[in-house]
Parts: sequence; structure tokens; C-alpha cells
Amino acid sequence: MIDLIVLDLADEKAAFCSRLLADTGATVIKIESPTPDSSRYKSPFYNHVPNMENSLHFWTQNRGKLGITLDLNKQKGRAIFHRLIQQADVVVESFPPDYLHVPGLDYDVLSAINPELIHCSVTGFGNSGPNKGYRSCDLVASASGGQMYICGDPQEEPLVPYGQQSYNIASLYAATGILIALHARRRSGKGQHIDISTQEAVCSALDSTMVRYFFEQTVSVRQGNRHWNNQSCVLPTSDGNIYITFGLEWDTLIELMHAEGRAGDLIEERWRNEEYRNRNLSHVISVLRSWTELHSTGELVELGQSMRFPWAPVQRVSQIANDPQLAERGYFVPVDHPEYSTTYKYPGLPFKSSVTPTSEFRRAPLHGEHNSIVYSEKLAFSEEEINALREEGVI
Amino acid sequence: MPEDKALKGIRVLDFTRLLAGPYATRLLADFGAEVIKVQSSHTAVGAEDNGTGYFATWNRNKLSITLNMNYPEARDLVLKLSQKCDVIIENFTPRVKHNWHLDYETFKRAKPDIIMLSMSGFGQTGPFKDYAALGQTVQAFSGLTRLTSYNKEQPMVLGNAYSDVVSGIYAAFLISAALDYRGRTGKGQYIDLSEYEAMCSMMEPALLDYTVNSVISQPQGNSSSCNTSAPCGCYRCSGTDRWCVIAVESEEEWHTLCRIAGHPEWAALEEFRTAKSRLKHEKTLNKLIEKWTVLHSPEEITRLLQDAGIAAGTVNNAADLAGDPHLKDRGFFVKMEHPVLGDMTCDGTAIRLSGTPAAFEAAAPLIGEHNTYVFGQLLGMSENDILDYRERGIIS
Repeated sequence: MIDLIVLDLADEKAAFCSRLLADTGATVIKIESPTPDSSRYKSPFYNHVPNMENSLHFWTQNRGKLGITLDLNKQKGRAIFHRLIQQADVVVESFPPDYLHVPGLDYDVLSAINPELIHCSVTGFGNSGPNKGYRSCDLVASASGGQMYICGDPQEEPLVPYGQQSYNIASLYAATGILIALHARRRSGKGQHIDISTQEAVCSALDSTMVRYFFEQTVSVRQGNRHWNNQSCVLPTSDGNIYITFGLEWDTLIELMHAEGRAGDLIEERWRNEEYRNRNLSHVISVLRSWTELHSTGELVELGQSMRFPWAPVQRVSQIANDPQLAERGYFVPVDHPEYSTTYKYPGLPFKSSVTPTSEFRRAPLHGEHNSIVYSEKLAFSEEEINALREEGVI
Repeated sequence: MPEDKALKGIRVLDFTRLLAGPYATRLLADFGAEVIKVQSSHTAVGAEDNGTGYFATWNRNKLSITLNMNYPEARDLVLKLSQKCDVIIENFTPRVKHNWHLDYETFKRAKPDIIMLSMSGFGQTGPFKDYAALGQTVQAFSGLTRLTSYNKEQPMVLGNAYSDVVSGIYAAFLISAALDYRGRTGKGQYIDLSEYEAMCSMMEPALLDYTVNSVISQPQGNSSSCNTSAPCGCYRCSGTDRWCVIAVESEEEWHTLCRIAGHPEWAALEEFRTAKSRLKHEKTLNKLIEKWTVLHSPEEITRLLQDAGIAAGTVNNAADLAGDPHLKDRGFFVKMEHPVLGDMTCDGTAIRLSGTPAAFEAAAPLIGEHNTYVFGQLLGMSENDILDYRERGIIS
């Protein structure tokens, strides 16, 4: 869909940003230091063997990208980087705010070289404000952005959502900001700087948490396996767990349970009153639980969904990988790994576009895999020049 | 002279409701798109009631028109309106849309370069395409609920419809990509976004671990967020339900932490000498750290550790966030004036563009507030015709 050249300087904090751009057709060149950074050592690993080419985390976050090495700490490396900047549309980086004041890497310098450049910085706390120099990570962003406080058991410590969601959501905002800036550039011919604070990204994804504070002065708290509105929760079944709702669905649900002789006293009229239910929620949930435990998850989800209740199985990854819905839509796509002479199934695109009906991905680049291609084709270096740079440790 | 807004001149016809869709169109509206939200007085209840703080937050900067889609005349107006629009977005289940006979092919005949995005829980095809879905439904399907827990037994829910926001940003992202494609080729397109798949894309390493290694990922509590380092976790502080997080990444940081905590002797203990051994004795280690943190406020712990260059933070709740000096300095929350609700505060944007920043100028619309502008000015209907349509309940 898009036709862009993106230079990716981001580590695991924002590698997903340019991945999203690659998903929609951008040419992404990942620029790594000659010494591989920590994102190549993030678990899980292929065959459980930790080395820099085996991180499955790296595999998914960097699939579809080209990979080169370049030492930006060296004068020569920065000069080469500036030549790449002349040809690029976008640069994405996740350096600490101060790092970019290193001569030659800040927005002022880069935009002077290429005024059309869109430069996106993803940091823990943004490029301004009293905490801008604070160190961050997925956990710190989840805590400071307000996600952790509303996740987990009220009797236990706050819990971070699984899967480095702070990094993911910041990358999603960053990629969207880049395309919005691209639209502005089409008219103005000018690039711009984008400042993404991971804390703000997390806070922006809190749904109604801040709305309830600003309009009702309510501070949302952790509710364990219950949703804040007390009208849905996760309950055990005979073979796993189910997410069920019991607000609008109350009358129908109680009839169903009653037909099996499992509604207990919930059949009584007073339980139809929502406020009364909320005051006695633990009883409601224990009766519901005694019913869900008698049935399989699949059986209950099918029953609920047949009445248009938004019920769901609490799935494990194995169930997702074998989900008939995802299979029918071809969500998982084979990706070739020539060095293992095999293909692996990757999570694919979460959308179908009428202009790009099929998707194919190249696996993540090996460290420096595309040095020759990029340096000779994009920058017209001769083979001798490339070898010399290699010997100097620049690439 | 200030630059024009980024999405100036882009007009969006918005059939979405609740959170995921309205979040997408709010994002586009914040950057200057003219979003026309199609409402009906019959369905403007609950989260779609224009007089609520919820509606006011997710629908700022938009216009509102009313149409009762059960009338064929309303359908005709929508088709006419689509000719004046660049983008159509809807989040009904495929079943509902089918009943209205308003699909991409129909819109494309009216406006060949139209961009249409449908977002639904499970996408437009497949056996679950008509399944009902809330944010928590999608989170449960995607594995997020199962894996967010302290242990294998009891999954925890997130406390927010995270997947709705994820899907909303994805939709705005894809519409922006489609606008670029149209700018270069002159062609529109149809996009079918599955909220379930969008959420799966946020779970990729765990999914790949299964498809490649056949490993079924298990919940890891707060360790799921850390690399292989310790201490890394969430610790109780002084006060009621007050907590901090600490993430130590190197030996040097570990030694600094021991010194700041006033316990340099911890660093000398055999079981804490290496990252590996600290991980092995994580429970003992965390109890020790908590003996220190519980004597201080989370803000104090954060300041002490951050001043020494160690990643740490306060577990902020809604009140903390609203008063956070850093967010205040950056102007993250914005004040707006609403005709019914009066002065109100809501989140600004996480997307800070230096040249064409977001603007928060117009409060969310009252229901049908822009009927005259849209039907009169944009579509050229006469005042009498508009009145007639109102009386017959078509514009209603």
C-alpha cells in the first residue's frame, strides 16, 4: 500500500513500528551496530538455543526488513548514515532523548540533510518534561502509564499484561503518526519530527479509566478476573476457562441455567435488579461458576454466541494456532528459512486489503545480511570500498 | 504561518459505535479530518448517548448527523454523501451490514476511489464472522487473558478494553496507508480488519514459540516483562495500595541499588552474586527489596533510583495520572468546553507531530447537530426537503 524507504534504528522498544510499516509495503532497512544489541538476545529462542540469530522475538518484530550493520559512533559511519538519510523517507529510533544530541544524529542535522525526512523518536517519557531523562522499559512504562494498577488481583501486587504491550502500543501509535505525517508531506513537501512517549501510549490505551476519573471521580482498581462494570468475568469450565457476560444477558442466562436445575436462588425476582446483583456479586459468581464448571468451554461459547452473547474461550497459544476462524482466513503464513531448509508458520497480517490480497514475508535479516545489496545498490559503493569499511569495523 | 492540519480536506463517513471505531475516527479527526458520524435517535443510548462523558471523550472534533437506516431514503442519502467523502468506516458485524445493502461494491459504484474499512471482532469471513465481541472477548480469544496472570490456574482480566484501542489505532493506521496509496495511484480500496487478528499481532513471539518450537507459553507474572535480569518486578510501598516497579539490568545497577537501599551487604551475599543466581533466588530477593520499598513512597523510590540511572517507576492510578507533573508539563490531558457537560478534561494524543500537531478544538457534537450543514450545504437539500425528511422520521 505504501511506497517508502524507512531506516530502522530502533531496538526492541520500537522495532514493531517499522515492522508495521513493512506490513503495508514499506522498504525497511534495519541498521544495527556491528556488535548486535540486546534485541537479538530476547527469548524465546529457536530450539531453545540462545544466540543472536535465534531470537523468535527478533524474528517476528523484524520480518520483512532488510538488515545492514553500521557503526554510528564512528565519524565515517555517521557520514554513510547521512548519505542513506538523503534517500530515506522515514527514520525510526528509540535512543534515550539525550543520545540524539550526539552531533550528527539529531533531528536538526538530519532534517537539514533531507527536509522531507519524517523522524520518529520513541522514548520512555518523551522528549520534554521533567522526567524526560528517566530510564524506562516495558514494565516501567506499564506502571507509569496506568495499566498495571488496573490489572491483577486486588489482594496481590499490580500485574503487567503479557507480551511487552507497552512497547507494542507505542509502536502502533508511532507507525500511525508516521503515515499521518506522510499525508501532510504530500501537500507541504515538508517532513517533521514525531515524539512518542511510551508512558503516554500506555495511558492512551486505558479505555474508560481516565473518563471515569474525570467525569465521575472514580479511581479504577484491580478486580482480578472480573471486568470493572461487574457484568462480565472469567470463570473455570470443565476443560479451561471462559469469558462470560451477565448484564443484558441476565434473564436468558438464568433461564438456561434453570432448565438444567443450576440457577439456585438466582431465579428469584430480586436478582433481576442490577444494583442488588452488584451488592451480592460473589454469590452471583459462585452460582455461575458451579454451572460453567459442568460444561466444556467450547460448548458454552457456542451456546452463548448462538444467542449473540459476546462470550469467548480463554485460549492458549496452541488453540489459537489451530483456530478454525484463523485457518479459514489464512492468518498464519509460511515464511521461508533457507538456512534450515524449511518454512515456519508466522502470524500474518490482521487485515485483508483489496489491493494486496496475498501476503508473503521474508524472514528477519541475519546480522548484516544485506550489507552488500544496500551499500552497493543504494550507495553505489564498490566491492573494495565495502571490504575496506568492513575491515575498519564501520560495517 | 502555521501549516495546515495533517489530514485537512479528508472527509470520513463514520458508522462506528462504542470504542474501537470511534477511537479510530477520533484519531483522524484530531489531525484534521472532517468526520461525519452517522447516528440515530433510536440507538443513541449508553455509550452512544451524546450527553455522557464517555461519548464526549471519544467523539470530540466530529460532526453528527441523524439517519434512520430502516428507510430506503436514508440509504439513498448515505450513497449521495459517500460521493462527497474519501473514507467510509463501519464496525457492524457482517450480518447487520448485509441487511442494509451497503457494501463496498455499492459505494464503489457511487465513488470509484472510495476507501472503505470494515472492522469487526473476527473479520468479514470465516465461521465466527458473526460472533458478538466486546474488547474482553477479543482479549480472551487472543491469548492475552490466559497469559496475563500470576500463575497457571487463574487468568486475570486487564481492567480495560485494550483490544478496542489497539483495533482503533490499527484502523487509523490502515486508513492512512490507503490514503497514501490513493494519492499515488488514484485508486481506493476495501480493508477488512479483524480485531481478533489485530490483538494476535500483539502476541506474536508467544505464537511463534508454538508454531516453531511447539512450546505453549505460560503466564510469568511480572517477570514476563523483564529480560533475564533481577531484581525486576513490582514492590509494595508505604501508603494504601501504593506500589513501585524496579528493573535492574546490570551488575553495576544492582550494586548501586544495594547502596541506595542502605544495604551494601546484599551485594556480597553468595546467592545474589550473579544475575543468574539472583533469578534463582528471586523470591527471597524480592522480599528483601520490599523490606526497603515499604518504608518509602513510590515517588521517593522512583526518584532515588532514577537519579542513579536505574529504571524505576510509580504504579500510577487514575488520580496519580491526572496529577502527574511530567504529563502536566507535556500537556497530555487537555481541557475542553462542552455545551452540556461544561468544562471537561480528556486525554490529548500520544502522537506528537512537530509540524502539524493534533488540535482539540471542537467538543463532541450534540445528536444531529450538523444535519443542516451536511444535508443542506454538502448535499444541497432544500430547507423544505430537510424538514420533510425530519417529519417523516428519515432524518431522525
